[in-house]
Amino acid sequence: MVTLNHYLFVSGVLFTLGLTGVMLRRSLIVIFMSLEMMLSAANLALVAFSRFNLVDGLPNYNGQAFVFFIITVAAAEVAVGLAIIVALFRARQTTNVDDITSMKY
Amino acid sequence: MPAYYLEAAVVVLGIVLMLMEAFVDKADKSFVGKVGIVGLGVIFLGLFMVKSPADGDTGAIWSFYAVDATSLFYKGFALITTIIVLVMSLDYRGVIQHYMGADQEKPQAGLGEFLYLPLFTCAGLMWMASAKDIVSIFVSLELVTISFYILVAFLRRNVGSLEAGVKYLILGALSTGFLVYGLTWLFGLSGETGLAEIAAELGNEDSPMNAHPQALLFALALIIVALGFKVAAVPFQIWVPDVYQGAPTPITAFLSVGSKAAGFVVGFRIMEPFIASDAAPQLVTLILAIAGATILLGNLAAVSQSNFKRMLAYSSISHAGFLLLALGCARAAGDDVQVEGVMALYLSGYLAMTLIVFHVMCLVRDQLGGEEISTYNGLSKRSPFLAGILLVAMVSLAGVPFTAGFFGKFYVFLLAIQSRFYVIIAVAVIGVGAGFYYYLKVVKAMYWEEADDDRQVRVPPLAKGALIVLAVIIFVLGVYPSPILEFFS
Repeated sequence: MVTLNHYLFVSGVLFTLGLTGVMLRRSLIVIFMSLEMMLSAANLALVAFSRFNLVDGLPNYNGQAFVFFIITVAAAEVAVGLAIIVALFRARQTTNVDDITSMKY
Repeated sequence: MPAYYLEAAVVVLGIVLMLMEAFVDKADKSFVGKVGIVGLGVIFLGLFMVKSPADGDTGAIWSFYAVDATSLFYKGFALITTIIVLVMSLDYRGVIQHYMGADQEKPQAGLGEFLYLPLFTCAGLMWMASAKDIVSIFVSLELVTISFYILVAFLRRNVGSLEAGVKYLILGALSTGFLVYGLTWLFGLSGETGLAEIAAELGNEDSPMNAHPQALLFALALIIVALGFKVAAVPFQIWVPDVYQGAPTPITAFLSVGSKAAGFVVGFRIMEPFIASDAAPQLVTLILAIAGATILLGNLAAVSQSNFKRMLAYSSISHAGFLLLALGCARAAGDDVQVEGVMALYLSGYLAMTLIVFHVMCLVRDQLGGEEISTYNGLSKRSPFLAGILLVAMVSLAGVPFTAGFFGKFYVFLLAIQSRFYVIIAVAVIGVGAGFYYYLKVVKAMYWEEADDDRQVRVPPLAKGALIVLAVIIFVLGVYPSPILEFFS
C-alpha cells in the first residue's frame, strides 16, 4: 500500500537532488534543469497532499489547482531564463558558472 | 471602484505603451516613459477612490485579494517607486543607448522596452500587497521576479549586466523552488490555501499543524529562506552585491526598494500568525538570528567598498536586517506601536533616501561616466544641488535626527527594547556606528575632495522635481512620523 509518506519521501529525494545539482554542477543549463526538478518535487508533494487529505470524500482540489499555476509559471521562467543564458553565451562563449566572475568582492 | 481595477489599469497601461512603442512613428522613444509617468500618476489618484468590498460580498476574488490599510499603503508605495524609476530611466537613457543602440538607423532600439517593462513589475508589486492566498502570493511574486530577470539583464551587450542577470536568474529561481516547497508543506499541514484559514487552523488542536511542529517549522524555514533571498538577508545575500553592481542603475533602485518592500509585506502576512502563536517557538529565534547577522555583515562589509553601487548593496542588506528585527518583535508589540506601522515607516524613509541616491547615481553615471566613490570627488562644485540632496539622503541613511532614517531606526529599537532583545540591540548599535563611517565617506568625497576636472552635472527639471519631493518626504517623516504609524492602528 503506497501511503502519503512514500510520496513525500520521493518528493524529498527529488528536492534534494535538485538542490544538490544547483550547488555542485557548473553548467548553467544543468543548473536550470535542477531548478525545475525542485519545482517538480513541490508538484508531486502537492498532488499527494491533495489526494490524501480528503474533504467530504473528495481530494482537496485547491492543491491540484496550485500545481497548474506552478507549471505555468515555471514555463514562463524557463522562457526568460534560457533567453538570458543564450545572450550570455553570445557575449562570452561559455555557460560555465566558473567563468562568470568579472565582478569581485 | 474595486481595488483590483488599479492593477488591471497598470497592466493595460503597460500593454498600451508596448503598442505605442511599436506603432507610433517617433524617433525619440522617451515619450513612452513620459506617458507612463503621467498614467501611473492618474492611477495613483485612483487609489483614493477605492471602496472596500461590502460585508456580504463573497465573490471568488475576495478569498485571494485583501483590501486593507496594508494593501492600499503598499500599492501607493509601488506606484510612487515605479514613477520615480521611470524618471530615473529617462535620465539614464544615454547609457542604455550606448549598450543597446549598435544599429545606426535605430539609435534608440531597446529604450522603449526599458521604459514599459517596469509597469508590469509594478502591477505584480501591487497585486502582492493584496495577496492573501498562497496561490496569489506565488503568482504575483513570480510576475515581479520574472520581469526583474529581464530588466536586470537588459543591457545585453554589457557583460556586467548579463552576469548580474544570470546570477539573479539562478538564485531567484532557487528561491522560488524553496518558496514553492515551503508553501506546499504549509498547504499539506493545514489543508488550506488562504492565509487567514491557515492561521485559523493554528487554533485547532486536532490539526496536523499542531501535531507535527517539526514539519511546520520546516515549512516556515523554507519560506524564510525564499523571502530571505528576496529581501537580501544573510546568509542569502550573496547575489546582492553583484546584481546591484551589474544591473542598470534605475533597476537597481527598483530592486532595492520595490522587491524589498514586497518581500516584507508577504513575509509579514505569512509569518505574523505563527510568530504570535506558540506553534513554532523557534521561529522568533531564527528570525532574530538572521536579523543580527544581516545587520552586522551588511554594515561591516560596506565599510571597505570603493564602488558606490556596491556599497549601497551592502547598505541595503543592513536595512533588511533592521526590518527583520522589527518583524521578529511582532509578538511583543504594544498598543502604542504597531509592527506593521513601524515597517511601513522604515520602508517609506528607505524609499525616499534610496531613490535619491540612485537617482543622483544615474545622473552622475550618465554625465561623468563612473560609479566609484572617487567619481563623486568635488561634486559640490560640479552641482551644488545634487551634492546637497545627496547629503540629505546620506545623513538620513546613517540615521541622523530630523531625518526619516532616524525615526525608522528609533521605532525599531523601541520595539526591540519592549521585547527585551538586548543582545541584538547591542549588535544593531554596532551596525549603526559602522553605518555612520561609510555613509559619511561619500559626503567627505563630495565636499572635501578636489574634482579631477571642471565638468558640470546638468539636472533636468523632471529629475529636479522628483529629487526635491523625495527630500521633502525625508524631512517631513523626520519630524512628523505619526501619520504613517496611525494609518495602521
